[in-house]
Amino acid sequence: MNRLFLVTALCVSIVSVSGCSNKSVVRYGDAEAVETTDVNFGSTDLQKIANQMADSLVLSPVVGTATENNRPIIFVERIKNKTSEHIDTESVTDSISTRLLRSGKFRFVDMGSVNAVREQLEFQQNSGLVDTSKAIAFGQHVGAQYMLYGNLASIVKSNKDASDVYYKFTLRLMDLKSGLVEWADETEIRKTKGKELVGW
Amino acid sequence: MLRKPSIEYMQINHFKNGLLIALILILCGCSSASLNDLFNGYDQQMRGVKQSQLQGNFKQAINLIPPRSSNDSSYSLSMLEKARLEFLANKPEQSQQDFEQVYNVIQKSQQAAKFQLSRGVENFGAILSNDNVIRYDIPLYEQSMLHSYQAFNYLQQKDLSGALVEIRRANIVQQQALRDNLGSIYNVQNQLGDNSFYFDDVANRYPDMSNTIGKVKNGFQNAYTFFLSALLYEAAGQQNDAYIDYKKALEIYPENSYLQQDVMRLATSLHMTDDIAKYKARFAYASSTVDNEQNQGQIVIFAESGIVANKQEYSMNLPVYTSHDDMRFYSVALPSYQNQLKVFSPVELVYQNKHYQTEEIVRIQSLAAKSLEDQLPAIVTRQVSRLIAKEKFREQAQRQGGDLGNIFANIYNMSTEKADTRSWSTLPDSIQILRLNLASGEHQLELNVNGKSQVLNVSIQANKITLVKLTAIGSFTNYHTFNI
Repeated sequence: MNRLFLVTALCVSIVSVSGCSNKSVVRYGDAEAVETTDVNFGSTDLQKIANQMADSLVLSPVVGTATENNRPIIFVERIKNKTSEHIDTESVTDSISTRLLRSGKFRFVDMGSVNAVREQLEFQQNSGLVDTSKAIAFGQHVGAQYMLYGNLASIVKSNKDASDVYYKFTLRLMDLKSGLVEWADETEIRKTKGKELVGW
Repeated sequence: MLRKPSIEYMQINHFKNGLLIALILILCGCSSASLNDLFNGYDQQMRGVKQSQLQGNFKQAINLIPPRSSNDSSYSLSMLEKARLEFLANKPEQSQQDFEQVYNVIQKSQQAAKFQLSRGVENFGAILSNDNVIRYDIPLYEQSMLHSYQAFNYLQQKDLSGALVEIRRANIVQQQALRDNLGSIYNVQNQLGDNSFYFDDVANRYPDMSNTIGKVKNGFQNAYTFFLSALLYEAAGQQNDAYIDYKKALEIYPENSYLQQDVMRLATSLHMTDDIAKYKARFAYASSTVDNEQNQGQIVIFAESGIVANKQEYSMNLPVYTSHDDMRFYSVALPSYQNQLKVFSPVELVYQNKHYQTEEIVRIQSLAAKSLEDQLPAIVTRQVSRLIAKEKFREQAQRQGGDLGNIFANIYNMSTEKADTRSWSTLPDSIQILRLNLASGEHQLELNVNGKSQVLNVSIQANKITLVKLTAIGSFTNYHTFNI
């Protein structure tokens, strides 16, 4: 009897202790550390894609000749999300274009901010608040020579032992004048998560 | 000579009984089905909600959903109900959030450990009380409907690529279901061992659902999801993907003439010569002409009719033999669906003096009944184990507390004998489709919904698809248009 009481008391105290000692702590971590919380698209995948694509584009011989004497102007079309996750593909293209800009070999026009620019120019021209002689006139933007576009596709499979996801990211650079695809590359990522045998 | 029970023996038994009651209480708290669930069926709890839904008063219906905490065993189900009603109340953002939450729960449970201790606890609790203690695993047809509504939520926010993500998720659900479901159902029966004769007894008395199930072959293949998927792929310019899903939908609903036309149209435009020959032989009218007329767009109407009926509790008396070989009758409650389908008249559309009618693409009531039928072996198995456990409990109580214990145990056993009638019960009963080419521009079309005429204002763009989601629940009729 005594022993049973002891065991029950022990169980109750374990439960209550495990309930109370679970304090959450805020920490700073390395933004580039490998993240493996789950199999879904994560920061490591994004960084891997952005790094590999930007490096491959900068180092490719075709681009080398094109960037010899000038800095070609690129516009980024969207990356088509063909996966079964809601992925912010704009953030992928942002990372890639930032890296390309940093390399100093390319220049970019940003189609996402066209409306804001137009509004600002209209304000300078028509609001009456800005000195029109110094206002920026319409029609002075430079058009893009190349278009960057691509696809992100995935294959998801799972069974009772594991779930597996495969991503394929394809990026292409098209010469807008000739319509030729001057450069293309792809990155593959495979992630597998085995299921635990026993869990709560 | 009878052996007098020693004091120690009594104490241990006391302790055992106390432990049992304590366990029941802990289980009620821990796996946290509310006490309400133990004694009131889900169908009863949802009655008010469905009443308001039938009147088209969706806000009131949302407020009437019984509140549940996030660790409640039916939490994801109540989120489904809420999200569906929010969808009807035209609140796409909230509906999207709630559906996403349910999706996360599903994902989590799919990636959970193979043997989950918490499930063991729930099953144990279910054997002592009833199946409502077990967490609600969202059946596959409900998952595919979740993604379909979620796709509409994205469309409403003009996010076609988001909608396509949901469609792909729905397709993954159906693919996995097809692979996993084969042969997994009938393994349960073997677990019962010696008590399997109870199993046959229960199974034989179970009410027939064949009228409700109809021609449905499995509880997860949803032609509506495939059709929606094909439509969105077509809108996104992926004709090949669209063709595959139209064909899958046609496999499930071979008589649907709109599906026949769609398959034929895409087969022709993709030059699938073998398929064209095959389908020409199969379809009576065999029109392979592609409507290439300029300045035409398409209207696709999804007409949702009615609300699915809830599972009902079906009680039967089963004889159980006590350890003294006395026969006692036990009341056993099992979930079941009514064995009849409501009849919905098709929606009629009049355009240029011609009449067009919607055709059925999914009967959710049938899918629900079929998926219940698939779950029955497991349900009956648990029911039989419960029967035995409860009889053991009664014997114990009688030994301990004499007649009073016996009465207490009987009352407990009877009042906890509740069937698990949980299912997503705000879904439509039947969904029908209609597809038509219209000249581009504004149109005022006349619809005939359940004998009442309704004017439909749509703007058609050349070579584009305009989706119309028509809801006809009870006395309530409303529609939304999406240009995709």
